[in-house]
Amino acid sequence: MKPFQYATATSPAGARELAGENGRYLSGGIDLLGELKEYIAEPKLLVNVKALPGLNKIEPSQQLWSIGTNVTIAELEDHPQVKRVFPGLQQAAAEVGSRQIRNVATVGGNLAQHSRCWYYRHRDVFCLKKGGDTCYARHGENKYHSLFSGNTCISPVVSNLSVALAALEATVIVQRGDKPSRMSIAEFYAKAWDNPTAHHSLEHGDLVLKVEVPAQQRRSAYLQVSEKSMFDWALVSCAAAAKVEGGKLSQARVVLGAVANVPHQVQAANQFLEGKTLDEETANKAADLILENAHALAENGYKIPMARALIRRTLLQLKA
Amino acid sequence: MPSWPEKRALIGSHTRRIDGPTKVTGAAKYTSDVQPDGWLYGMILRSKWAKAKITNIKLEPALKVPGIKAAVLAREGERTVRYYGEELAAVAGTTKQACLDALRLIEVEAKPLPFVVREDDAKEESSPRVWDDTPNLSKPGLNEKGDVDKAFSECTAIVEGFYTTPVQLHHPLETHGNTVSWTDEGVTAWSSTQGIGSVRDGLADNLKLQHSQVRVISDYMGGGFGSKFGPGVEGALAAQLSKQAKAPVKIMLTRFDEALAVGNRPSSFQKIKLGAKEDGTLHAYQLESYGTAGIGAGGSSEGGGGGAGFPAPYIYQIPNTRVRQSGVNINAGSARAFRAPGHPTASYGMESIMDELAVKMNIDPVELRIKNDPSEVRRKEYQLGAERFGWKEKYKKPGSSPGPVKTGVGCAGATWGGGGRGTQAEAQVNPDGSIEIRCGTQDLGTGTRTLIAVIAAELLGLKLEQINVRIGDTRFPPSGGSGGSTTAASVSPAIYDVCTKALAQLQEQTGVADARGENWAAACKKLGVQPLNVAGRWQEGLSSSGAGGVQFAEVEVDTETGFVKVKKITCVQDGGMFVNKLTAESQVNGGIIMGIGYALYEERVMDRQSGVVLNPNFETYKLVGLADVPEIDVVLLDMPERGVIGIGEPVTIPTASALANAVANALGVRVPALPITPNRVLAALANKSNAAPAAAKPEV
Amino acid sequence: MNDPQTKDALTVSRRSFLKSFGTTAAVAATAQVEAVAAELAKANTEKTYGPDAVPITLNVNGKPLELQVEPRVTLLEALRNHSTLTGAKEVCDRATCGACTVLLNGTPIYSCSKLAIEAQGYEITTVEGLAQNGTLTPVQAAFVEQDALMCGYCTPGFVMSMTALLRKNPRPTAEEVKHACSGNLCRCGTHPRIMQAAFKAAGLPVTSKTEVLPYAKLA
Repeated sequence: MKPFQYATATSPAGARELAGENGRYLSGGIDLLGELKEYIAEPKLLVNVKALPGLNKIEPSQQLWSIGTNVTIAELEDHPQVKRVFPGLQQAAAEVGSRQIRNVATVGGNLAQHSRCWYYRHRDVFCLKKGGDTCYARHGENKYHSLFSGNTCISPVVSNLSVALAALEATVIVQRGDKPSRMSIAEFYAKAWDNPTAHHSLEHGDLVLKVEVPAQQRRSAYLQVSEKSMFDWALVSCAAAAKVEGGKLSQARVVLGAVANVPHQVQAANQFLEGKTLDEETANKAADLILENAHALAENGYKIPMARALIRRTLLQLKA
Repeated sequence: MPSWPEKRALIGSHTRRIDGPTKVTGAAKYTSDVQPDGWLYGMILRSKWAKAKITNIKLEPALKVPGIKAAVLAREGERTVRYYGEELAAVAGTTKQACLDALRLIEVEAKPLPFVVREDDAKEESSPRVWDDTPNLSKPGLNEKGDVDKAFSECTAIVEGFYTTPVQLHHPLETHGNTVSWTDEGVTAWSSTQGIGSVRDGLADNLKLQHSQVRVISDYMGGGFGSKFGPGVEGALAAQLSKQAKAPVKIMLTRFDEALAVGNRPSSFQKIKLGAKEDGTLHAYQLESYGTAGIGAGGSSEGGGGGAGFPAPYIYQIPNTRVRQSGVNINAGSARAFRAPGHPTASYGMESIMDELAVKMNIDPVELRIKNDPSEVRRKEYQLGAERFGWKEKYKKPGSSPGPVKTGVGCAGATWGGGGRGTQAEAQVNPDGSIEIRCGTQDLGTGTRTLIAVIAAELLGLKLEQINVRIGDTRFPPSGGSGGSTTAASVSPAIYDVCTKALAQLQEQTGVADARGENWAAACKKLGVQPLNVAGRWQEGLSSSGAGGVQFAEVEVDTETGFVKVKKITCVQDGGMFVNKLTAESQVNGGIIMGIGYALYEERVMDRQSGVVLNPNFETYKLVGLADVPEIDVVLLDMPERGVIGIGEPVTIPTASALANAVANALGVRVPALPITPNRVLAALANKSNAAPAAAKPEV
Repeated sequence: MNDPQTKDALTVSRRSFLKSFGTTAAVAATAQVEAVAAELAKANTEKTYGPDAVPITLNVNGKPLELQVEPRVTLLEALRNHSTLTGAKEVCDRATCGACTVLLNGTPIYSCSKLAIEAQGYEITTVEGLAQNGTLTPVQAAFVEQDALMCGYCTPGFVMSMTALLRKNPRPTAEEVKHACSGNLCRCGTHPRIMQAAFKAAGLPVTSKTEVLPYAKLA
């Protein structure tokens, strides 16, 4: 790592001020320190945001849960009410990294984490996402990369929480300038769809404050497939949330992770599911819609049948 | 002729590691842990280019960084570097941070040159040559026996296949490294090594010192798997830095470095054709293969060794064979011997085609092997293992299990040499009854330390705790490097000899008829003031060579996601006489688990465009995790009459083969490449459903 | 996990500052004191450290470890390069292998991915701090007994993860052991015996399938 200064912020405004032009926010540190060690990021100052008051709580509610940005993934994983009310979110949390990572990694950090593309993460490859000319993955080793992309960069979003929270229609509250800004998960990542150098829509200085999740009596589930059984990035992940009454779906949301620069959700599929019987045929048709226009590259075509299976299984999990 | 005692209490039992408590409390000091007074941190600058002409390296800016005490070049003058990660220079300083900053200030003038990093590219004549005067693809070595073309025409069944294996990285958890102190008195090096002698000799030669001026210590080391012989470029650099800085310098490689420059298992691309007679007897075999050992060159301090060839047709004796093997150079780090070099690769191709033949001829794969395996031991191991594993119940027609998650089973066999000789040892028996056994061998986690204590305690009738074992120092009597599964067979007879002699001398000197066990303390007291020092050496009759081993694997493959789950592995393994069965069993577990990694997860990925290693970390070079490990059933076949043989390598040979066969059995189609990752499974299934039945050829 | 970054050894907390004025100040005086306290707190906790080395105190195994390190020094580096506590190992330095696992207030973390400066205010436990008076803990004893170690380099990390697990969940299932310890890698292949050690340490039945058969007796 390059040398840096370190300070602890006591307020969001203070955090932004400390960060200035050349600072970065430090929460759990798993992602940021990794970038520093590879000299992908060279901030002059790290602003510890873990001490910001009131941002480390999980606040259940009948209408709208609030989950502070500094809640650790482990706290989310272990919270008995989260497991009961938002099982999909709990399952997504339980698959983040390892227990040691979950003990320090935070909700905000997980959402805001940077690309895991192995070209991006390589200290000696100056790829498009880092400001270079070329997306090396496009014509290179792309077995981990996106099926859908709005721009030349095909690095997929890998935050497990983003997928589950998108299905649960969560809102992210971000301190932008001197006031909070509300973004859907889609809005939180939208910039990454168009802009190759973006990992999400956060501007420099933006600070995630909390996530609000509506308690809508929806069932939820999350599944992923990785190469290893545990402690491995998802090749494809899927989260589904829906009301299921009399075997029929309503307010269904199905989201795929690791297949696009953003959590991949298709409105037409959600609309199709409305009122349908929750069964294999329905799930398969939804999968068709979700995977329409999937563009396989040399090495990642397998993600299509994999996603198809995951969509079906995740939806059918809502039956139980 | 010496022989092991008939009645054995400790030898052949399950004995806990004597260094267990030291390791579980963090008291064990590995090479990376030693902190000699005034030690400095060292770090290496490596080439960013897969190939480049280096015209100048400026170290001065690095020396200006506060805390930096020395900087050296890896080689003087203009030179050509030939792989991403080749060593350029090194610095030493008071902190790691100073070294990081210093490396980034070193100015390297380089002219990048064309490179090639994939075997299929490098094979082409038009590809950039790794070495100017040699084509990348070597002329194939040809080996023929009988008349293979005629033999194929005589076969009832012929099968063909094309199988590939990746470059696999050793990735011992303790990286390569040394702490070296070079003073006027000479060099002391604490090394993470499998061969303290090889480090001593390598350093002496490299630094132009006499062997007697170099001392190498390796008390505890964190794994090697074949990659840690010789001082390495890093050892020589640490020594040079130490001389310049006048302080000990510790250079431990980073995990990133480990993926680049300190060895690997060569890849393979195997085109195989196998034919059998009607009764299933193997009759004709043909192999054309190539693989890469990286730049394939470099002396012992820079790797080298571990070429791309392998034994074929492996364990089977087929009367008509044609084997053509080539190596192909690429701009990547040189291969080094890696746990049973060549054998897992050989086994994978051979056992895959064997199963193809079994399916084609509708012969049970175990029966086909028993029919054709020349080794009586292995044939019995198959029989025993098959029954224990439940083969008859589990083996079904390929792809026939119902549902999307399909089960399958497979098997494979191994052969290995082992054996050993040449070790010397000394014993010091003190008047207070304490005894110290000194031997210049290494314990890589294999249990050598405990083995020495077990033998000594057995022969002297003492408790384990009474034996003080000292290993890992070139000041002790020499032993060979710990490779080839030769350590147990080399060390055990030497310990036998030194203890037998020590006992005899003690008895003679003190007049005590039987100084063992309860009589030990009193007998030692009679030594008076001077301890008894006895030398011993390896003796014939206590060890031999040649081990087999078979493994069976059961898998579940999710045909919708491609995910492979290993349910069970059964291993029946012989290794002569096991001095310590507890540690031998752990070796079996370890070899199997490494084989699972080879089969399912591990593959070094080179990027064609930039020439870099794309996965120089554990994030995308994946090691088997706790949740990936299946039920492992280990049967040690005790053959004490054969003496000590060795077990470290045979146990990793057939695992991937058995797993590949199990997956093929589950799916009804073969995934012909390792590692068998979900993407490859889904691709194989897609090919299977796409493949149209061959159209009948019209008669002319 | 309770984060004591709100206070560190170098600051005066707002609370203790106010306390020094007693509890009976008049309203106006209180407001003024509050304002000063707020300013002081702001100055203290928004103090910038580094980039040069700064003094830190780490509470390791119940003892203070006083060091001078740059903010970019990790807890692992502080232990291995700036003290003699080399039990935690550097294997990957990238939060992927667990060999550097230590406990912060009993919670296992990767010390390679924690800045030393941020490890202040916690009770840090390393593997050296487990055995008391030379007596191995049940986890350590189980590792030795079940031979859940070979080269031993991954062992401290596994011991820490498993110790933390069993303190929280004294009778775990196999699935729970895997989930808790999947962040630790081993290259020698001790995994089956690590599972056995977990059950042994938990006082649960241990099963392992190994057998020795004399070749001479085979048909």
